[in-house]
Amino acid sequence: MTVPVTGVSPEQGDLGPPGRQALRLFIRNKAAVFGLVLLTAIVFMTLFGSFFYDQDPSRIIARPLQGPGEGDAPALGTDYLGRDVLAGVVNGGSTSLTVALVAVLLVAVIGVSLGAISGYYGGWIDVALMRVTELFQVLPALLFAMVIVALFEPSTRSVAVAIGLASWPQTARLTRAEFLRLKNLEFVKAARASGASDFRIIWRVIFPNALPPLIVSITLIMGAAILFESGLAFLGLGDPNSQSWGLMIGLSRQTFLNGWWTVTFPGLAIFATVLSFSLIGDGLQDAFNPKLRGR
Amino acid sequence: MNHITARVAWSLGLILAVIVMCFSLIHLAPGDVAIVIAGDSGAGDPEVIAEIREDLGLDDPFLVQLGGYVGDVAQGDLGTSYRFNEPVTELIVTRLWPTFLLVGTAVSFAIVLGVLVGVFTARRPESPVSHGVTVFSLTGYSMPVFWTGLLLVIMFASNVQWFPVSGMRDVRLEGNWLEEWIDVAHHLVLPAITLGVIYLAQYSRLSRASMLEVLQSDYVRTARAKGLAERRVVYKHALRNAVIPVVTVAGLQFGQMLSGALLVETVFNWPGLGRLAADSVFQRDAPVLLGILILSSTLVVIINILTDIVYRLIDPRIRVGGPSQ
Amino acid sequence: MRKRLLALLAILLSFAMLAAACGDDDDAGGDAGDDMATEDDSGDDMDDEPAEDDDESTADMSDVAEEAEGSDAGDSGAVDTGPVAGGTLLIQSTQVPRHLNGTVQSGYATAVPGTQLNASPLLFDENFQPQPYLAESWEIADDGLSVTLNLVQGAVFHDGEPITSEDVKFSLETSQANHPFKTMFAAVSSVDTPDDHTVVINLSEPHPAILLAMSPGLLPIIPEHVYNDGQEIKEHPCNAGTDCFVGSGPFTLAEYEAGSIIRLKAFEDFFIADRPYLDEIIIEIVPDPASIVIGLENGDTDLSATLGGAANVVRLQENDDVIVTADGHAAVGPIQWLEFNLADPALSNVVVRQAIADAIDREFMSDVLDLGTTFPATTGIHPGSPFHNPNTEQYGAGIEAAQARLADAGIDPSTISLAIDYIPVSGSQLAYAEYIVQQLQDVGFDAEVNTLPDFPSWAGRVAAGEHQMTVNNVWNWGDPVIGVHRTYLSTNNVGVIWTNNTGYNNPDVDALLAQAGAEFDFDTRVDLYAQAQEIINQDVPMVYLNTPPFWQAFQPRVQNPPIGIWGQLGPMHEVWLAE
Repeated sequence: MTVPVTGVSPEQGDLGPPGRQALRLFIRNKAAVFGLVLLTAIVFMTLFGSFFYDQDPSRIIARPLQGPGEGDAPALGTDYLGRDVLAGVVNGGSTSLTVALVAVLLVAVIGVSLGAISGYYGGWIDVALMRVTELFQVLPALLFAMVIVALFEPSTRSVAVAIGLASWPQTARLTRAEFLRLKNLEFVKAARASGASDFRIIWRVIFPNALPPLIVSITLIMGAAILFESGLAFLGLGDPNSQSWGLMIGLSRQTFLNGWWTVTFPGLAIFATVLSFSLIGDGLQDAFNPKLRGR
Repeated sequence: MNHITARVAWSLGLILAVIVMCFSLIHLAPGDVAIVIAGDSGAGDPEVIAEIREDLGLDDPFLVQLGGYVGDVAQGDLGTSYRFNEPVTELIVTRLWPTFLLVGTAVSFAIVLGVLVGVFTARRPESPVSHGVTVFSLTGYSMPVFWTGLLLVIMFASNVQWFPVSGMRDVRLEGNWLEEWIDVAHHLVLPAITLGVIYLAQYSRLSRASMLEVLQSDYVRTARAKGLAERRVVYKHALRNAVIPVVTVAGLQFGQMLSGALLVETVFNWPGLGRLAADSVFQRDAPVLLGILILSSTLVVIINILTDIVYRLIDPRIRVGGPSQ
Repeated sequence: MRKRLLALLAILLSFAMLAAACGDDDDAGGDAGDDMATEDDSGDDMDDEPAEDDDESTADMSDVAEEAEGSDAGDSGAVDTGPVAGGTLLIQSTQVPRHLNGTVQSGYATAVPGTQLNASPLLFDENFQPQPYLAESWEIADDGLSVTLNLVQGAVFHDGEPITSEDVKFSLETSQANHPFKTMFAAVSSVDTPDDHTVVINLSEPHPAILLAMSPGLLPIIPEHVYNDGQEIKEHPCNAGTDCFVGSGPFTLAEYEAGSIIRLKAFEDFFIADRPYLDEIIIEIVPDPASIVIGLENGDTDLSATLGGAANVVRLQENDDVIVTADGHAAVGPIQWLEFNLADPALSNVVVRQAIADAIDREFMSDVLDLGTTFPATTGIHPGSPFHNPNTEQYGAGIEAAQARLADAGIDPSTISLAIDYIPVSGSQLAYAEYIVQQLQDVGFDAEVNTLPDFPSWAGRVAAGEHQMTVNNVWNWGDPVIGVHRTYLSTNNVGVIWTNNTGYNNPDVDALLAQAGAEFDFDTRVDLYAQAQEIINQDVPMVYLNTPPFWQAFQPRVQNPPIGIWGQLGPMHEVWLAE
């Protein structure tokens, strides 16, 4: 469930990170900063939240399905087992974020490597690698991931691997496009002329200039990975020993009519997290491409 | 034409690769379908499980099974469902239309409304409406589709009962075709909105961006300079050029839409392919699962080819070098 | 930009408020209903387990009061007018049948439509007494080695062909060869058909339970002229094909869409005159119990027994427009328990098991976790059965008692690690497992829940004896011989789920069960089973948790709802709709 990045960056020109200018533009973008703040808050809650609110999310603490503020129910109510919804929200992020992080790492490593090699060398290597990319791209992502997770037993690792495997083609394409664009520019020719090795040219020369759109894409893929993970967990393919937001919603499916809070708050958490990544990604895109700003 | 032929030929090979990969994945992975089937019957003796394995040919060598399967698929035989004992093709065909209806409606709604909104806001890019569109597009994309669906169910199940929240039709209804269509449409509203919102969010933003770009282009400036009416300029020329990216993106997202449909069908009990696919994963119903994976991939490939063709027809200036672009 | 920001915050806030405002008003903290049951609402079928052969003289199963199954919120839908013909009954169910041929397929999902489509030799009343159905009379030989059925005259299949003794013979032999409950008819040595309407079943040993085995859900009579064509019957196209399915029951198969809907139309030439009352029964398969609840509440759905958990049951109980009852399905007899793997070194010590049993408060589980929808269970025989022994040793004395027990035996709980499994995808069993783990931790054990992703994983693990303890849900199937013996007989530790997975081995119990299973005299049987239950409760191979009734909800207009001993697993030819 990845989103196409609209608006590829225009000619970047030569070496020299556009970083500083982009950073300035980013900071001035209020929505992007809001996203960053939101994400920081969420990560903080995930990492340290349990120090401040140390209720065990898997422990039964009160009567099932009590609404927020009802009886002796905690702040956000209890779920169908009598567990604390707030504790679940506070602790649920770690699974989702961990899975997303690992998945995105996988996507980055596989996608960027394949795309870089493909774009740089061209020829039959390009054709072959692109065929492999296409193979993974035509598979229905969610179903494919479900198959992998179901067959290899749901766990944080299998879910992350499944998401990674289902999501890398787009990054490969993007990287390849960037490399195709950049490899014939002057500064690259110069590097080649000076006798640099292929490896050095790819990673030290071209890759840093391909970074901006890749960073944007990776940020957006983080958000997509979180949606992906929560979707899988919702369907029942999350790590059963963890407490992810998607899993909370999925488990409450049969009883949610009796307790809207059991699905609303975990969903809000997912929404907020993905939104923060979207805002940041958006902001980065605007920062790297000032011409396209204001869309 | 040659390019297209080559493309089609390659696509067939691609589908074969999909078949082999998925078959291998499912059959070599742990998880015994015989236990599931036996579990259905009350998990009888080990005899029963052994019988099941034999009936289904699960003990044959892997390559034999693979070869047999590929051969069957080539003849249009997708095998028999382990769970339902019915031909997979029949099962899929029954479920295909509801999914098609759901996805088709959602996407059409998203494209049409998205383009309209994009066009409207492109003319007033700094208006509150335009800002609203931006916000909506970000939030719409960030909301998990199953969560949106559940919220709608909560809203419409208990408090405001305008739309049914489950199923595709009222099974009791025995009316004429018009009444049946209205019944289905009634059931279609919530699931289609749930699925469509995600794409509406993207397309409204995308079409606005495209419109903005087109409106500032030389072509339009010239037309304006010639004094053509604003309306004609906008709606006739700019529109067509702005719609193209939206339709292209929609075509590329077809695969995602099936994933979204799977989740929406689960939330709303919509009897489509997505739900069948999800069930077949949990029931280890390998033939059905394989059949859907293959069908889905094939559809994506076909749509890609079609998008390719349409793209070339609309703008032959664009050099389409194959799937890599 | 600022506008964007504010709009964003507004949207986030309004979502939260919207959901809050539009959320359901019901707080199903719920009052406790009288009866308790949770359904095992897993996506997997509500399945039964292999039936052992039962020796059951059903003539002795009299006065089975359904004490544990009292109904609660009134059967107040009854009307005074007589039955009226006509109408369509819409049943919604979460259970998906594989096909509709009950001779080769067991399970709830097949039996609900299957018993409408096919008749059987006998029906059973609320006292477990056999009643005429396709067999208008029957005799058991004095030596108990044969049963003679006299079939009703003039009964025909849906295609007009007469139902004869050959069909009964064929159905029984088919079941014997293919039905997963291998021991149901294992004692049948041969079937004779002296004439078209007489069937003689010859037994290799006395087997009184043969009568119960002729219930609609266990022995549907299928047409020999349709199925005996050399095709493998388990994959026979007529098992679910609308164009060729032929049955013997009160309803015909009008439409069948695998996994979605089954439409049944009244059979005009049914052998019971003026039956069925209903014109049509529609069984709609809805995977999500919440949708079924909605359908019941707004009057669209007439009947359902798959309500999906305690919260939904309570919610419906509080709704005046819907009748909710725990009556019915007594013959099924589901029990939930926590069973131990006696091969585990820590758990092989009975003191440890007794301590664990003390730590579990069953009343709390039923009242709070199950919101009052289940009953605490005390033995492995369902309280609705006449063989239930209400006076056995019980535990549940509390955490301190458990700790005292361990201390007296010199056992330090902190040295023992325990993991509890449970049937996955089941919400209520996860609750039990979590609760039990908490209690065990309070006693001092090192305990945790082991969650598996799906049913096959769990079944495989338990069958292979890889677990330490697991929550389980096992059905009695009416006579103890069918559904109870298999759990305790030391000879039945065969590495398959729902057999003797604990490894329990007590020769005294083995002898008692064997004797009770071959005993004709009712009172002797009651006494034998009572003794067995006493011993078992002292040995504690499992801790009995509760009995989850099959809660059913239906509209007031549904008359004669299926609340007999087999519930919906029986023909609904007597059901009618008042309008």
